[in-house]
Amino acid sequence: MAADIADAVAVPTERASARSGGRPGSGRRPVARRRRTLIAYLFLAPFLILFGTFVIAPAIFGLWISVTDWSPFRDTQNFVGLTNYLNLFTPGSTTFDDFWQSMGATAIFVVASVPFLVVVPLFVAVLLNRRLKGATVFRTVFFAPYVLGVAIVGVIWSYIFDTQSGILNHVLGLLGLPDDIPWVVDVPWVWVSLVGVTVWWTAGLNTVIFLAGMKGINGDLYEAASLDGAGAWRSFWSVTIPGLRPVMLFITTTTILASANMFGQSYLLTAGGPGNATRTAIMYIADQGLSQNNMAPAAAMSYILFAILAVISVINFRLQRERSEKGAS
Amino acid sequence: MKKAIARGWGVGLAATVALALAGCAGSNGGGGSVSGDNYDGPKVEITFWHGWTGGAAPTIVPKLIEEFNSEHDNIVVKNVPQEWADIAAKMPLAIKAGKGPDVAVLHGDDLATYAAQKLLLPADDIVKNLGYSADDFPPGVYDKGNYDGSQYAVPWSVTPLGLFVNKDVLSKAGITEIPADKDGYVAALDALKGAGVQGEWVDGYVFTGTFEFESLVWQFGGDLYNKDVTEATFNSDAGVQALTWMTDLVKNGYSPANVAQDGNIKALLAGETAFNWNGVWQTTNTAFGDLDWAAAPVPQIGTEKAVWSSSTHWVFPANKGQSDDKTAAAATFVKWMNDHSLAWAETGELPAANTVREDPELLSTYPALEPFIDELDYAHYETVSPGINEANALITTAINEALTGKKTPKEALDDAKKKADAILEQNKAKYGG
Repeated sequence: MAADIADAVAVPTERASARSGGRPGSGRRPVARRRRTLIAYLFLAPFLILFGTFVIAPAIFGLWISVTDWSPFRDTQNFVGLTNYLNLFTPGSTTFDDFWQSMGATAIFVVASVPFLVVVPLFVAVLLNRRLKGATVFRTVFFAPYVLGVAIVGVIWSYIFDTQSGILNHVLGLLGLPDDIPWVVDVPWVWVSLVGVTVWWTAGLNTVIFLAGMKGINGDLYEAASLDGAGAWRSFWSVTIPGLRPVMLFITTTTILASANMFGQSYLLTAGGPGNATRTAIMYIADQGLSQNNMAPAAAMSYILFAILAVISVINFRLQRERSEKGAS
Repeated sequence: MKKAIARGWGVGLAATVALALAGCAGSNGGGGSVSGDNYDGPKVEITFWHGWTGGAAPTIVPKLIEEFNSEHDNIVVKNVPQEWADIAAKMPLAIKAGKGPDVAVLHGDDLATYAAQKLLLPADDIVKNLGYSADDFPPGVYDKGNYDGSQYAVPWSVTPLGLFVNKDVLSKAGITEIPADKDGYVAALDALKGAGVQGEWVDGYVFTGTFEFESLVWQFGGDLYNKDVTEATFNSDAGVQALTWMTDLVKNGYSPANVAQDGNIKALLAGETAFNWNGVWQTTNTAFGDLDWAAAPVPQIGTEKAVWSSSTHWVFPANKGQSDDKTAAAATFVKWMNDHSLAWAETGELPAANTVREDPELLSTYPALEPFIDELDYAHYETVSPGINEANALITTAINEALTGKKTPKEALDDAKKKADAILEQNKAKYGG
């Protein structure tokens, strides 16, 4: 999946180099080619070692844990086959209700947050892309929240969102609006707050990526469009959006993954409440695996989450690539 | 981006790295013979892990340790403070790998979980040699260190809940005396309501709605779990009465609905409410500043006096290959610390050692602690059972559901009990209890 995304982003440059450079290495002797490959692997080695140690190895180990009755308190672990997975699909097991409820909460958050996390940054990027006075300042302003840690974000917004003494309700009261909205206490407001905070916090990153994508669109295209009589709106749809397709694919994919892995915001702002309504899958998995020592079910859960996210990413990738190919032809 | 994708692999995987490291964990040391309260063996260095990273502790602990080290030629204590969460994540693995501390402080509700994993040395002999017995501590707290017939811990501090009062707000309603019983409390809430003040803001979070609920369950004569902790009993009549009392605070207009986390202590500090059930640790909250405030024992709402308290305890980790000398030196350190724990009150915790708490100097230096000390005769401590915190979390969920109107108190508690029983059952299998 990572490679797919890298491809998607690198499409323009790779295509260009493939065209201009012909078939690299085709005329050289095999020995030289082998040496070149060796050198390439050598340069990749440090990353591969880290990737293997901290991603691949634990992932395989996690897969093993998920088919055992793993307990940190025993010296030997027993293979139990797919029991942990089956339990997650068996109504009435200790984890069934809570797990799927947390998956549901995650789905709500993804569906509610991703459109905003794509559209708002796109809109901001379009504005910033004009030859605006102080664009750099605005860019910094929009990006700034992203550098904050989630703990800081949580503390800041808990002051703003407090039902009775929060700044937000106070301001609403001054405007003659209801001033007792339970922003972080009750549904549906908790979702509004969580999405709002996440957009405020992370939109800057997507904005900067969109901006970089826009800078890469050939200015001649806009000129040609305007000669053909296209207005601002038309050239946005016909030039900017098609030009951003690879970037768009990248952003939607990573944003869906990031939203599906939401943890800190609801952990800090709503404590998963009301009840467990905003307890996300990652919160539940972390609680089961790390706090309650139910490692094996937690590992199975994380694999189910992983599988679902992988499928969604592939679908997303297919859909957008087809569109982008159609758009290009 | 890599970050986002790597996260996609799931938190569970990160955990497995930690487990991989633990893979080499072996068995643990035995009881070990430990000499009396003054270690006279060869010179040793012992490491001490604790989670006191905030408030006054970062200055007090090094000072105490420095003093101890200078008084003991053959013991050097190495102070290793870290966040409680880090201790919870690291210590079990470190102990199994033989790299854990020689002495540590844990919260009372974690003791059984550690003991069940055989991560702690049974300390019966140590305790006997130090001359400690249950009578040296407030009633009930010493036994919290007892698991499966062995004593694993020595109490260090206790932190009961109390009633914090904003006296300025209270006087607005013409009340000068802090109520101590149900009638007085309701009368005060009514008078405050008449003066346009919602007297006690009740929340549905661990801090402090859960502590209030548990206090009330005990006050109404109930308990959270049955005696051998095989079944949850917080949905008994007492539990329903306790939670109904809390939801009624909202229904009767004594509390606003939907109070956010910490909303009530903020409101007390801002002069918007008169009462807040909160822990003794708030006595050191600098935000009280020149507010006219007082603390009192929690009022008796139910049929008997009772209040929630947590506790911290000294433990002796069963590191792989733990040296008896180091454990003996650690025991000496524990005794010395308890004897010198008067300064600990500075952190807003009550020293557990009776001798220290009964020292008149304590109250003359920290007069605000008096009501909390008075409560210790009837305080209830957290349930001892491995993995109990998973079941306890359901209590908070129930309170939250009831206070946000998702369920009635009885429904919420019944649902939580059902889940809690399943977890207790599961814990039994998991920890072999």
